[in-house]
Amino acid sequence: MTGDRKPSAINNAAPTKASRKLTRRKFLAKTGGVLAAGAFGAVPLRGWAADPINIGALYPSTGSMAQIGIGCVAAAKLAVDMVNEAGGIKSLGGARLNLIVSDVQSDTTVTRTETDRLISGNKLSAIHGCYASALTLIASEVCERAHVPIITGSSSDQLNKGRTYTFTPFARASQFAKAQLQMAKLVSEQAKVAVIFENTAFGTSTSNGLKELAPGEGVEIVMFEPYSAGFTDASPLINKVKASGANTLFSLSYLNDLILIVRTVKQVGLNIAINGGSGGFVMPDFYKNVGKAAEGLQGVAHWNHDVNDDAQKVNAEFKKRTGEFAFEYAGGLVAQTFMLADALERAASADPKKVREALSTLDVSSGYAAMAPGGKVKFGPDGKNVYGRPVGVQWQNADLASIFPKEDARAPLMKT
Amino acid sequence: MWETLAQAVINGLLIGGIYALVSIGVTLIFGVVKIVNFAQGEFVMIGMYISFFLATQFGVDPLVSLVISMPVLFIAGVLIQHFLIRRVLGPNDMPQIFLTFALSLLLLNLALMLFSANYRTVHTSYSDEAWHIGGLYIPVAKLIAFAVAMALSGLLWVFLHTTDLGRAMRAASQNRDVAMLMGINPNRVFAVAFGTALALAGAAGSLLMPFYSAYPFVGQVFVLMAFVAVVMGTLGNVMGALVASLMMGVAESLGIQFVGADSGLIVVFALLLLTLAFRPSGLGARRGR
Repeated sequence: MTGDRKPSAINNAAPTKASRKLTRRKFLAKTGGVLAAGAFGAVPLRGWAADPINIGALYPSTGSMAQIGIGCVAAAKLAVDMVNEAGGIKSLGGARLNLIVSDVQSDTTVTRTETDRLISGNKLSAIHGCYASALTLIASEVCERAHVPIITGSSSDQLNKGRTYTFTPFARASQFAKAQLQMAKLVSEQAKVAVIFENTAFGTSTSNGLKELAPGEGVEIVMFEPYSAGFTDASPLINKVKASGANTLFSLSYLNDLILIVRTVKQVGLNIAINGGSGGFVMPDFYKNVGKAAEGLQGVAHWNHDVNDDAQKVNAEFKKRTGEFAFEYAGGLVAQTFMLADALERAASADPKKVREALSTLDVSSGYAAMAPGGKVKFGPDGKNVYGRPVGVQWQNADLASIFPKEDARAPLMKT
Repeated sequence: MWETLAQAVINGLLIGGIYALVSIGVTLIFGVVKIVNFAQGEFVMIGMYISFFLATQFGVDPLVSLVISMPVLFIAGVLIQHFLIRRVLGPNDMPQIFLTFALSLLLLNLALMLFSANYRTVHTSYSDEAWHIGGLYIPVAKLIAFAVAMALSGLLWVFLHTTDLGRAMRAASQNRDVAMLMGINPNRVFAVAFGTALALAGAAGSLLMPFYSAYPFVGQVFVLMAFVAVVMGTLGNVMGALVASLMMGVAESLGIQFVGADSGLIVVFALLLLTLAFRPSGLGARRGR
């Protein structure tokens, strides 16, 4: 079958090599099964009262998103450890969660085959993944067909269309744009926004969303300019922003361009609030690359480590394990694991269909499962958390502080 | 209006200096060795990683690491010329094209494997600094890069015009066969030319590091401009490449400023086509060849 492939199972993976089974069988036959009986007898004493519950984790731990994917896997392991240390799933006799990690290699084709392989090769109760929406969309299709629930922090609104096995506990992409526009008014009541975006599918679609919503939010867009991604010099572009008289800059860019833009704004001495949106902007790596110039920059996230005390606890443990603060996707997926645990508890079954049923009636407002902006999780028929909303964040003292909306603000807006 | 224009020209000239270092390398190799080095951008990338690691591991300022990146790449150039390029120098162009193209792909993918696709930046005290003169500003890191680039180009010019080896390289670039008949050792001249070109790419990498991120594909961004400048400035003409690079930088900057932020390259290529229409051999045609 897949004997020559690297096994994807990480925890409690049983060796499956045929040769080893064979020698063991011979060995058992020779010893008359005495030892085997002894071993079985020892099982309950060790606390293995119930079969472990398999949870699949699909993340890009190699390829272009490797660094983020590795962080996600670390968070997934942390979450499973937390659930297990708290006694596992009690309604299933204290069954432990068993994380089965699979690398989707930042690639859509690999994502499809890996999701298939993960589902067909293991008895899974649920899956979470895959960081990038493009990858999650594929995995969620496969899950839909295989009737295995998938819970994800990915933000594409597409994930809520025509799917019954996909659950999205956090804010959707369409909500991010709205939050960004509202944040522009924190800086000045008369928000004049310059929108610069790379001329790709990502930049064009996101910027058009902003343009459509702006009048409704009372925000004036004074500059709306596409640029070629991967430029060598941001100065001419920033020159134009300066000439536009904007007081807030929305930059829909990937990391490299954004770094150049931020540095150039500082060099020009332009006094403008910058909102870098989500994605790479709210990752620890961004600050490492930009340094002090990142102070005061704003963005939006679906989770932040200061939302409540539980999140702070998770953040402290994540920091201990990885050295970085828990970024939005990492923290979010710890909460997701607890949502799964809650569903398993109520389903009292590891059957993926029953877990889906239980997820669809999930309603939490306390504990790790409710650790999200808004503090409550309940899924609508489209799998969307009806309470889900993004949180506006700002880089303050090398850390991300929640500053918007008022209910979620944990620090005042730092004026730049 | 005038202020915006002046600022756009300054921005263009400053980045043009970096384009010049890359394009002079390409044109030098083409002029002397008569091959197109498609991997030139990847050597800029290597220069950047050398500076990055020296800065993060040993705290060496990227500008100081120039004295390491340039010799390292010079030696690499001599070795590549000796062991790879020399063997494909023949009447047929195809193996040469394949060789440098393969070298480019190899280096790019090696970098991806070794350093991953992450962006690496170095912070220096002058990275975010700028001088303000009236309403204009001049970023310090770019000004230093420009000044050093011009100084290196000047040194190269002096080398090509006053030393025996330099004259031999120019002779080889004007007419290789006659130069050989005059007793010039082509292998030595080729090796020095290739090494010098790579050293310039290394210098470009080190000079970029204070204000640009290093990543495996970074060379591709600069090599495109370099090739345009090389063609526009007449293939093989060092001075032509220098002037054309500065022009390209300014054209790109003006294009972004006055046409549209995604139109920088449109202006650059329009300028190239215009030049070729009126002077098919490029701007430096009278001097070279």
